[in-house]
Amino acid sequence: MSNTVTRIRIAGVVIAAAASTAGLAACSSPAPSSGSAAAAPAAACEPAKGNVTLQYWNTVPGMDQVVALWNQKNPNIQVEMKNISTDQYGTIGNALKAGKAPELAQVGYDQLPSLRTQDAFVDASACADAVAAKSKFVPWTWSQSSFGDTGVFAFPQDTGPMALFVRSDIFKKHNLEIPKTWDEYAADAQKLHDADPNLSITFFDPNNAEFFNGLLWQNNAKMYGYSGDKWHVTVESDQSKQVAEYWQKLIDAKLVRTDLAHGSTPMYAAYQKNQIASYVGAAWGYSMFRDNLPDQSGKWSIVPMPTWGSSAASGDWGGSTVAFMKGNTHLYESVKFNSWLNTDPEALALENKLGGLYPAATAGLELPALSEGVPYYGNEKIFDVFAESSKNIDTSFAWGPTQKTVNLALQDALAKAAAGDGKLADALSAAQASALKSMQDLAIPAVAGN
Amino acid sequence: MTDTATRATRVVATPGGRSRHNGGGPRAGTIAAFLIPFFLPFVLFYLVPIAYAIWQSFLVVRRTGGQYGTSYTTFGGFEQYVQVFQNTEFWNSIGRIGLFGIVQVPVMLFIALIIALLLDTPLLKLKAFFRIAAFMPYAVPGVIAAIMWSFLYSPQLSPLVDLLKAIGLQPDFLGPGAVLWSAANVSTWLWTGYNMLIMFSALQAIPQELYEAAKLDGASNWAIAWRIKVPIIAPSIILTTVFSIIGTLQLYAEPAVLRQISSNISSTFTPNMLAYAVASGNNYQQAAAISVVIAVITFVLSFGFMRLTSKRAGL
Repeated sequence: MSNTVTRIRIAGVVIAAAASTAGLAACSSPAPSSGSAAAAPAAACEPAKGNVTLQYWNTVPGMDQVVALWNQKNPNIQVEMKNISTDQYGTIGNALKAGKAPELAQVGYDQLPSLRTQDAFVDASACADAVAAKSKFVPWTWSQSSFGDTGVFAFPQDTGPMALFVRSDIFKKHNLEIPKTWDEYAADAQKLHDADPNLSITFFDPNNAEFFNGLLWQNNAKMYGYSGDKWHVTVESDQSKQVAEYWQKLIDAKLVRTDLAHGSTPMYAAYQKNQIASYVGAAWGYSMFRDNLPDQSGKWSIVPMPTWGSSAASGDWGGSTVAFMKGNTHLYESVKFNSWLNTDPEALALENKLGGLYPAATAGLELPALSEGVPYYGNEKIFDVFAESSKNIDTSFAWGPTQKTVNLALQDALAKAAAGDGKLADALSAAQASALKSMQDLAIPAVAGN
Repeated sequence: MTDTATRATRVVATPGGRSRHNGGGPRAGTIAAFLIPFFLPFVLFYLVPIAYAIWQSFLVVRRTGGQYGTSYTTFGGFEQYVQVFQNTEFWNSIGRIGLFGIVQVPVMLFIALIIALLLDTPLLKLKAFFRIAAFMPYAVPGVIAAIMWSFLYSPQLSPLVDLLKAIGLQPDFLGPGAVLWSAANVSTWLWTGYNMLIMFSALQAIPQELYEAAKLDGASNWAIAWRIKVPIIAPSIILTTVFSIIGTLQLYAEPAVLRQISSNISSTFTPNMLAYAVASGNNYQQAAAISVVIAVITFVLSFGFMRLTSKRAGL
């Protein structure tokens, strides 16, 4: 009996001790460690005395060859890279939690704010080269990776300006015009389906929030803002509802398929079997069709994405930055490598060729490789279309600090709607609720509405 | 009859127990040498992570001001647990795998039992071949099995779907109503052989004299199977049921892989997937609390089942 009592007492003491240390930790931790808000001291950008080895994590195919080129040219600053494409943000998040983040890591624009709220980055603005790099990038990419402020947390790498990929042979066969507006696109969808019930104009993957967000972005649906010490969540807005209702109509009329996951083998099989006549995609998608459907060479064409009104507007789907991660003690060298990686013509050309990256650097848009015709697309100058699209992207669009959770909630609700259980517009309210709840969970002050 | 059965199990059980005789004084060094290779990893990779998860589940995130601010964690008592219990998605996922388990586990164990009994009859030829064949799927990693089945389910790629369409059926293995059972089918395919082997090993341990005695009494093969073999291997069946209950609550790989090709599997389809989704949204503390609750439910269900059945069976 007494034995049990002692045990309970010990347990009590342990719990109390644990609780009090937690309390202590809570009191002490916020003050010093947070380097993210304030600029790093100038000393942080001193070059290292000896040779330096940087860790760089990314998900880009062929990046090992780009890094090898750098290593060959820069014996003093060696870069070791690791491909983390199987679970990019899981790997980064765990490394941060363990205090073992690499010097540099690839982070998508949409995940920057969420990692920033986890204090994942260091400010490289102590390095003059880092601040000066601003002029080298497409403005909205710089604004997103610097959070619209003077800090430098990441360099933009690539973007995903959207466009419409068209099977011109199928359109020609059915005497269809290339659609310029979403209304025309819906009309074409109807005509194609009437002509051949096995043929759809495209597919809507309900499990792909990034794609849907790109569509929202095109329609100036601003989902997050920050003012008055609070995040303002407007995921559910008139602009976003317009997009949801448009696709809902296409789904209800069975004019678009909802059974194909983006990038999956069944998706390619459907394209292979000529069941789908177009693809609403981003710049990086150009290599997908080239590499996966080689025998459709010459049948594809890339045109601007349909618009809501008469004025040109485009969205962005995907694209990444290379971020300076917490614990980076070699900022000088990291800035050097990061600028080379994302602004050097040789590096950019290689990344475009191997990884399908569409550069975020303005110099990249003038690369010889990007002004030439692409054989797969009937020697069309497809990058001119993406360059034009890039200019028409709403530069004030901002992502939320819990984007991953919101994306998952959006996907779950979109999938329900696609299966006939609810409407796509309901998915927006689900995402709105999830945004508020997830921010509350992480103690980020947020309110609904502007 | 049950009496014989019970006694038989005891007889089988004794030889294992006998080897315990170890003489007198324990040589601490020797014992440690044998135990440390087990206990060190056990503590490091089992107890420590569990303790860490429990510890994490009692923390909450707080934040200093500003748009991005700086977050820190502090003790929050049962706050995370209150959230788990209020989370309808969590209870939906528990309900979903509850349904999954109630159907899949009995079906799988019944098939396993039938195969084990068939392999144990003297009538069957090529036993070694059939035993390996039935066990083979277990050798395939779960993720690979799920990928393989996802090809068979996909209307775009599947010869199975083409075949069914040819005879006038319109199967939709990945549809909202069917996808749970498609996942159940993958689990069944994977684990039947494993459970069969456990039951089969138990059958092998039954002394042949019992059958001879039963035959002399005029029992048919059928009667021997159901009245002698099945009751004797009841502990193995209970064991496989407990494993299956645990496996069901841990369900992750099969639905996670099918999710790649079907939009009808949500990110919160099973409790483990929910925990993963929450963790990937940087809410590690909430994910820890969900994991702890799953572990407790698993513990209660599996041990509850074991106690219930062992009392009933008088074991």
